[in-house]
Amino acid sequence: MSHIHIDVENLNFSYENGTPVLKNLSFRASENDSVGIIGANGAGKSTFLKLLVGLNLNFTGSIRIEEIPLEKKTLAKIREKIGYVFQDSDSQLFMTTVGEDVAFAPRNYGLPEEEVEKRVQEALEKVHITHLRDKSIFKLSGGEKKLASLATILSMTPDMILLDEPSVALDPKNRRNLIHVLNEFEHLKLIASHDLDFIWDTCNRVVLVNHGEIIADGSPEEILRDGELLDANGLEKPLSLTGR
Amino acid sequence: MSKIGQAISEIQSLETISKEDRRVNRIHPLSKLILTVFYIAVTVSFHKYDLPGLIGMAVYPAAVFMIADLSFREALRRLRVVLPLVMVMGILNPFFDRKIVLMVGALPVSGGVLSMLTLMIKAVLTVLAGYLFIATTPIEEICRALRIIHIPKTFVVVVLLIYRYITVLLSEARRITQAYQLRAPGQKGVHYKVWGSLVGQMLLRSMDRANDIYDSMQLRGFDGDLRTGEKKALTPLDFLWPLLWGAVIVLLRIFPVVELLGGLFV
Repeated sequence: MSHIHIDVENLNFSYENGTPVLKNLSFRASENDSVGIIGANGAGKSTFLKLLVGLNLNFTGSIRIEEIPLEKKTLAKIREKIGYVFQDSDSQLFMTTVGEDVAFAPRNYGLPEEEVEKRVQEALEKVHITHLRDKSIFKLSGGEKKLASLATILSMTPDMILLDEPSVALDPKNRRNLIHVLNEFEHLKLIASHDLDFIWDTCNRVVLVNHGEIIADGSPEEILRDGELLDANGLEKPLSLTGR
Repeated sequence: MSKIGQAISEIQSLETISKEDRRVNRIHPLSKLILTVFYIAVTVSFHKYDLPGLIGMAVYPAAVFMIADLSFREALRRLRVVLPLVMVMGILNPFFDRKIVLMVGALPVSGGVLSMLTLMIKAVLTVLAGYLFIATTPIEEICRALRIIHIPKTFVVVVLLIYRYITVLLSEARRITQAYQLRAPGQKGVHYKVWGSLVGQMLLRSMDRANDIYDSMQLRGFDGDLRTGEKKALTPLDFLWPLLWGAVIVLLRIFPVVELLGGLFV
């Protein structure tokens, strides 16, 4: 049996004004899962991912990451295990060059400089952007920024990665490259997106969320081919499955 | 390019220059920081009428511009906003201090005019010294130097974040003004009626963005301390640079070098 990496039980979360975002949500994911969290705008996908890395602790219910309960005192330990890629790469990258940004996490974890160098090189190679190492963050294109963002978390060698709308603003070539990179990452992945073609290409499990609740949880075949289910939840079948 | 775009581009180009592999850039940041602070302290310590002494102090920035292979013209262009402001300093001195203290040929020079000139020169020299420091030292290295001299961690992190925040703020300002201009094509500048909402939106958005950046830092192990990579071993140049320049600065401060040199030609 696969080791459970994420275990969420009865998760509830509301905004400060009382608007509920996630309602009684329970979810488990194992180390080999590649889970697509799908749903229309405002369904609660991004909020769910943010809660998993403890960016907001005002929730009720429980979140356990590799058996460790998510609490203020365990945040540092949990965050070492998870790589989180923001929807907007400009929010992720802040150092002056790509290499410096990729080195940021390993340095913070106190690794010796030789190990930092090794991790940076490996992370850049994995996403095929070694040539961008000394390039200024400000001069990257949208696709390059996305790949650089991914490299910044791969250098942490995380046990799992969470990606929020990773395919937004990518041209077809960069999109294909990102799909390839993600499919090569062998650990747990959670990808929140309403780009169902992207989910179809990268995930082996799909969780459909609407109004903060899990509506369906199953294989991509089962969920992404169900036009009625998708339609009822503000989505449409992936173009690659419609035959258009 | 818009003015905001130019400002962003100048910050970026200054960062690029500071990271270039030049001999002066490779000197330990603490050596450069100490030297810069010492130079500024000595420069401002000159008497308000000691114009020749101050002129001698220009040796340091002039030499560093040459050694570091930095463009003086480029520096003046970058400092074009600051320099007029510093030139304004002391502009009222001639009205308050009218005592004649110097004769240049047959031309009487009042104490006010002289003190205005020395104040301006002090301001220009200190601004140039600061510019030389940041043009040869990346912000992360400056922060590292500050930590070495035990400036509190919180203060140093705030300095770094403010520096990063400037670009975030400018980027948001550029987006918002571009969106405005596209929908107000005939409007020159931004109409005063929308200043309030525009500035409000800009601040809210940039705060959101700054918050996301801080989240991103925390998610990657940031604990408030800045780690900027390999601690380079100190080289003889790290000691020689501040010591030699320190000696030159002290000499310029103690001896009227310019007057002595001038005397050779009289």
